[in-house]
Amino acid sequence: MRTSVRAAIASVAALVVLGPLAWFWYDSLVPGTYDMAAMGYPDYGGGPAAAHRHSDGISVADLRGPSGTPAVDVTLTARQDGERYTLNGSSPGPEIRAERGDLIQVTLVNESVPAGVTLHWHGVDVPNGEDGVAGITQDAVAVGGRHVYRFVARDAGTYWYHSHQVSHEQVRGGLFGALIISAGPDDPVVQVHTYQGRRTINGKPGVSEFPAAAGTPVRVRVINTDAGPIRVWVSGAAYRIVAVDGRDLHQPTPVTGKAVLVTAGGRVDLAFTAPGRVDVGGGAAAGPGEASPEPRELVDLLSYGSPAPLGFDPGRASRNFDYRIGRRIGFLDGRPGMWWTVNGRLFPDIPMFMVRTGDVVRMTLRNVSGEVHPMHLHGHHAVVLSRNGVAATGSPWWIDSLDVADGDRYEIAFVADNPGIWADHCHHLEHVPEGLNAHLAYADVSTPYRVGGEAGNVPE
Amino acid sequence: MLIALGVVVQAAVIAGAWFLVLNDLDSGTVLDKNSENNWAHVAHGQIGVMVMPLLALLLLIVSFFARVPGGVKWAAITLGVTILQVVLAFAGFAAPIVGLLHGVNAFAVAGVAGVAARKAREAGTTVPAEPATVS
Repeated sequence: MRTSVRAAIASVAALVVLGPLAWFWYDSLVPGTYDMAAMGYPDYGGGPAAAHRHSDGISVADLRGPSGTPAVDVTLTARQDGERYTLNGSSPGPEIRAERGDLIQVTLVNESVPAGVTLHWHGVDVPNGEDGVAGITQDAVAVGGRHVYRFVARDAGTYWYHSHQVSHEQVRGGLFGALIISAGPDDPVVQVHTYQGRRTINGKPGVSEFPAAAGTPVRVRVINTDAGPIRVWVSGAAYRIVAVDGRDLHQPTPVTGKAVLVTAGGRVDLAFTAPGRVDVGGGAAAGPGEASPEPRELVDLLSYGSPAPLGFDPGRASRNFDYRIGRRIGFLDGRPGMWWTVNGRLFPDIPMFMVRTGDVVRMTLRNVSGEVHPMHLHGHHAVVLSRNGVAATGSPWWIDSLDVADGDRYEIAFVADNPGIWADHCHHLEHVPEGLNAHLAYADVSTPYRVGGEAGNVPE
Repeated sequence: MLIALGVVVQAAVIAGAWFLVLNDLDSGTVLDKNSENNWAHVAHGQIGVMVMPLLALLLLIVSFFARVPGGVKWAAITLGVTILQVVLAFAGFAAPIVGLLHGVNAFAVAGVAGVAARKAREAGTTVPAEPATVS
């Protein structure tokens, strides 16, 4: 009797310990196929409720670029060889150059990437159906398949393209390239990428050259295609930061003895008079001469340059969103671990930021997770209003990729002027399958595409 | 006992991990956010967040059924310091100084697991008829 009572108590105690664990495990499971737009819970940011309509709304598949004869017509063929990915046989892939107003057409052909591929135009505010996110704006292109992207190069600047299917492996492995709109013919492009622990510029480790006669002005376009922030500085010349993320800065001042931080996925254009050498760390540099020591100090873009009109009033925001990044123990799709959280919750139980076309949106990005997160909003450029309560006093600082360091709080604002379902995620791409993957969704927009499914869409 | 042994393994692999990193640096590798963890880092992480908490949890479940005086208490303490160890590990990313406590707490995990193992052994020798738990 005593033994059986004891056994019963022990069984109950075991259930009390294991039961909740089993429930948390079960509750975290994500279906094999799902509609990303239906995941999580809607967050209206204090504005009027604006539900997804699944029947009579706009389909992402109809939000495509214009028809007509393209001014730039490129075919990119993706291949995989082990961990190495190439486009038209090289990594980085071909540099695409276009002029403002050009219709760009890119045909993506998948020759040998078993997991499928897509192309996302990082920083270009394309129509949603051209955004290239597998399972949300299209199906991944299977081996033997092709997909045509068409969009107008509306804003001059430095951009890049990369796969948005299993992107944490494909971008790391080389499936990306530069996209430059309305550049000077001689503007050097410095694409920074780390392949197997070797930092490279345009695929080459060490110091590379670019042609520039002494005394001539140079505009170097730096693209960080890596997973973490890099420090960039110029040796031998004072430089100005003339653009960030494809948007010109207003009245940039000369910089000496300071570096500029370029977040993962971000771009900066640096102008100086030759000769000068651009260093990106890890022994990789472009230009002649010797490197000066890496500056300890960073240019603070919050107070760099001088103010100019924004073109909209962030004070009239109709929605205010919180995007708080944390980290906690839990189950993510049945896997135990320390996962990233959005507003305290684990994927997929995270907010879907809901807007309507024309809304002025403010978003507070807070990072209490212990590590830096380069936050990337698709389809829009947002302006930085403040950091840690200190208002921006410099040039309007427009971003599509923002370095949010641990402990930092940024307030940004943008106009919701590009209908669709847009990823708003961390560009340390390893972090996306670890839960850091929220979305901005317009009311009345739905998607016929599904994550998972027959196409095997893995947007992360 | 497995848990105490686990602590030794963890100490060994994390030391090995950083020596591997230093070795890679000598051959020109860049250490940054792109760097993939080497096998020893991966082992430390997997054992730390999966195997060790699972062992501590199993010890607690087994202690419910085993008649070991103070067994449940010491199993619970073992689970507690094991979880604390995981929390300290991740807190260390934000506040590296906390990482020092992660090192110190490792000895607590080993010590407490050792006490739990001794309790089980003592119970096993005094009451040989009962199934003893040796963890």
